[in-house]
Amino acid sequence: MDLVASRTFAQERRPIRHVDWLLLLITLGLCAVGLLLVYSATSQTLRNMGLDSFDRTNKQAITMVLGGIFALVIAAIDYRFLKIYAGFIYIGSVLSLILVRIPGIGSTDVSGTAQRWFAVGAFQITPSEFTKLALILALGAVLANIRTPEPTLRDIGKALFLAAIPLGLVFLGPDIGTSITITGIVVGMLIVAGTKLRHLLVLCAVGIIAIVLVFQTGVIKDFQRQRLAAFLDPQAVPADVRYNLDQSLIAVGSGGLFGKGYLQGIQTNLDYVPEQHTDFIFTVAGEEFGFVGGIALLALYALLIWRSIRISWLAKDPFGTYVAAGIASMFAIQMFVNVGMAIGIMPITGIPLPFLSYGGTSILASFAAIGLLESIHMRRFT
Amino acid sequence: MDKATSRLRVLALLVVVMFLALSTRLWFLQVLAAQGFNKEAHAQSVRTVYADPLRGQILDASSTPTHPVVLVGNRESLEVRITPSELGSQGEAVILRVSQMTGVPVSEIAKTLQDPKYLPTQAIPVAEFVPKNVKYAIAEHPQQFPGVSVESTFVRSYPMGTTAAQVLGYTGLIDSTQYAAWQKNGYGPNDIVGKNGVELSYEQYLRGEQGVTKLLVNSDGEALGTVSSTKPTPGDDVQLSLNDHVEKLAQKALLDGMQHARSYHDQNGNLLRANAGAVVVMDAHTGGIVAMVSTPSYNPLWYERGLTPSQSKYLSNSNIGAINNRATQLAYTPGSTFKPITGLAAIKEGYASLGGSYNCVGTYTQPGDTSGAQFVNWTTANLGYMSIQTALSESCDTVFDAFGSDFYYAWANNPLGTNSDPLQGDLKQWGFEQPTGVDLPYEVSGLVPDPAWANTQKTLFPYGWVPGGDILTMIGSGYVQVTPLQLARAYAAIANGGHLCTPHVVNQIISSSGTVVKKIGGDCAQTVPYSASELSYIRGALRSVVTSGTAQCAFQGFPFSQVAVAGKTGTAERPNKQDTSWFASMVGPNPERPDYVIVTMVEQGGFGGQTAAPITRQVIDGLYPKIGDASSPSCVTPDR
Repeated sequence: MDLVASRTFAQERRPIRHVDWLLLLITLGLCAVGLLLVYSATSQTLRNMGLDSFDRTNKQAITMVLGGIFALVIAAIDYRFLKIYAGFIYIGSVLSLILVRIPGIGSTDVSGTAQRWFAVGAFQITPSEFTKLALILALGAVLANIRTPEPTLRDIGKALFLAAIPLGLVFLGPDIGTSITITGIVVGMLIVAGTKLRHLLVLCAVGIIAIVLVFQTGVIKDFQRQRLAAFLDPQAVPADVRYNLDQSLIAVGSGGLFGKGYLQGIQTNLDYVPEQHTDFIFTVAGEEFGFVGGIALLALYALLIWRSIRISWLAKDPFGTYVAAGIASMFAIQMFVNVGMAIGIMPITGIPLPFLSYGGTSILASFAAIGLLESIHMRRFT
Repeated sequence: MDKATSRLRVLALLVVVMFLALSTRLWFLQVLAAQGFNKEAHAQSVRTVYADPLRGQILDASSTPTHPVVLVGNRESLEVRITPSELGSQGEAVILRVSQMTGVPVSEIAKTLQDPKYLPTQAIPVAEFVPKNVKYAIAEHPQQFPGVSVESTFVRSYPMGTTAAQVLGYTGLIDSTQYAAWQKNGYGPNDIVGKNGVELSYEQYLRGEQGVTKLLVNSDGEALGTVSSTKPTPGDDVQLSLNDHVEKLAQKALLDGMQHARSYHDQNGNLLRANAGAVVVMDAHTGGIVAMVSTPSYNPLWYERGLTPSQSKYLSNSNIGAINNRATQLAYTPGSTFKPITGLAAIKEGYASLGGSYNCVGTYTQPGDTSGAQFVNWTTANLGYMSIQTALSESCDTVFDAFGSDFYYAWANNPLGTNSDPLQGDLKQWGFEQPTGVDLPYEVSGLVPDPAWANTQKTLFPYGWVPGGDILTMIGSGYVQVTPLQLARAYAAIANGGHLCTPHVVNQIISSSGTVVKKIGGDCAQTVPYSASELSYIRGALRSVVTSGTAQCAFQGFPFSQVAVAGKTGTAERPNKQDTSWFASMVGPNPERPDYVIVTMVEQGGFGGQTAAPITRQVIDGLYPKIGDASSPSCVTPDR
């Protein structure tokens, strides 16, 4: 009986039996919405150019399938295994950030306003998307090794040092969006690690001083300064600087309570909102599905983040807790900054909306995060 | 893990705050402020394009649907247009090719394309009236002419040239005053509108309605589809009372007469300048203007084509005043042509009577005046006592001077009473010092000097109103000023039994489908307070002017038995200028019911009987070709 019982028990604890199906369902739901929105944002323009109106949508769908496979592979790996290799992964990601800056290896567009990428066949791989996950693993490993009830200043300093290197490289990218995301991840993970409030406050003060210094010394580019100015005082900047924000607000605002209907968005069909299929994808939802659709979409993200936090809570070991918390922070901050800029409560920065924005690397990285979450969830009893 | 649980709660709380912030903002944008954003979205994504309607034609009085006589029309023009944004990389080569085909210099095309009033996405016209083969050549080689199109459009045509130019007017780009006034009627800042004459006064009918096409456009301005579209409605045609045949013959008579006058000498021995003039031919019973000539003139086509520097200089020269309609837009001292009207006033006020006789002295002195001021007649001889008829026929000033003195005392004895200045009151009843209401723009009112006006003219009247004011007005001299049209209107009232008709050049408005939209004219309700016998007496007096009076020389040999002519010469002195020559007349087979009133005025033309009367005779010969008046006056004695 014991034998039977123990075998049953062991079988009961097999990872495959503990997949978080709701998380998968939410992910698939977001992907479906993403494809609908990308189609709406791109089809009319493609048709006007005489191209296949499904071109972008198909490409996005293929990326999602690849992402799904990627997530499966990661979920199949025991996440604790990754803790051992977290250092290598971290160093690899930092190296990739350096390599992407070398002309001939990495690419950037002429204006220098976009992230840097590696060209791999028809796809562009943006290493900074994976940097976020690599940092989450590295920070998780460091924080999990803390033996004191609360992290000491030395622990915090170690974590900050780890974060500062990729943060600096990404910031020089120039990629303020990913910089904000990395900052959000670090803060979220430090909170969960039990950092004292006063330490956090000191950290905030240091952050603010750093930001002021950055603006004073002119490290940031002109267009970034203008975007920030447009956010802080919209009336004071010329209309062309405000254009992005204005068009975005018109699109969302004119959607009203129930929206104009799928594929009926005037702003969307007529190309008024720049970068609408990538960073401003939320405006499509806002215009065509209105307040009701927008709230429903936010609810879907709320579910995603709730499942992430729940997995952090369920995790068998501190490493799993910290990694899941880092991912929850990543999703939350990206969602907040992206939607926030589309509706004018955050400055405009290039930051993708997970699973919705068109773009290969972002989709792959988001799926990898789901893979990690599932890996933690599946192995909570083993 | 308990610690971790509470810390995770902190993280969850932060996330909840994020969602609350986003939801609140969404509620504000999409529910509270949605309407404003909706409006903005609509305004920028639907662009309105206007198609200009075909402007209405201006037709002659004799025009019929089957035999139209077009005085101002529209002419088709093939226009080459270039859309700069579609020129592509070889823009300069394309412009060079267009220049070679059309003959328009490259520099001029480049200048037009850079005109800030156009958008680069607009098809900008760079050449007009190009031959058809240019259209075919460009259509056959689209790859050589990217962004170039040849479109058929309509421009205004003025077949009358300089004839009746001031009546017909011209068109041009709307100016800021017009735009401010008409913006609410749907006018745009680049619209072509009437600027003067009938083109301006009947703008609302001629214009038609613009076609409105609402296009759905993207943020690059590219049209993606049509929301709604209405075709332009052509403007209404305007049919004049003006007869192009009479207009042309009156113009010719005026120009011939002025030419002739320039061979005469004035009192100082200088040749007459006779450099400007006007003729008004008006239907005496309706106020319909049959001909209205003003010279020097201009060609409205100059404005259509764009003024050359010399044209611009000519038109802006106020000494020439070609732009002015001298029949309505300038006022002149009427001279003795005023006497029939002032004479009637004297009769009305009891200073004269139809049966009375009055002394025509050589020099008139105001009774009791010790200043030595003298009013001289045109001859120093004392012509003795005469009737009003003879006084008009001989144009005796001194008879009228005495009536002026009577009018002065009427005022001086009662300066503050009602109707204290009866002469001025009577003259205003004839429509002087007020616009006639003719359907032409920028009409002036003229002037009837009176005591109140004199008080405002301290340099002219340092002691206020004086006898000379009334005395000079009585003989149409001094400061009184009338337009030829005002005089024609008053003479028409003498001719038609006392009806003061509102003059008009337009008879009716006809829609593009041929139905009459509106009839103009026929307003003769206002009357002058004179009996039929009084007016008949004056007509008789004026007939003797042409048979035995001051205009007899000009009408020598005229067949009066077939067509009666009655008129009054006028010779008005002007400071520093030669005299204005006038002849105001009425003409028709029935002497008691003349058909037309003709007023002729020539600036610096000398005596009325010398210049204006012969011109009028030439017009009458043209009006009544069947009377076969082949005789020409042989006497050239300047008379008065």
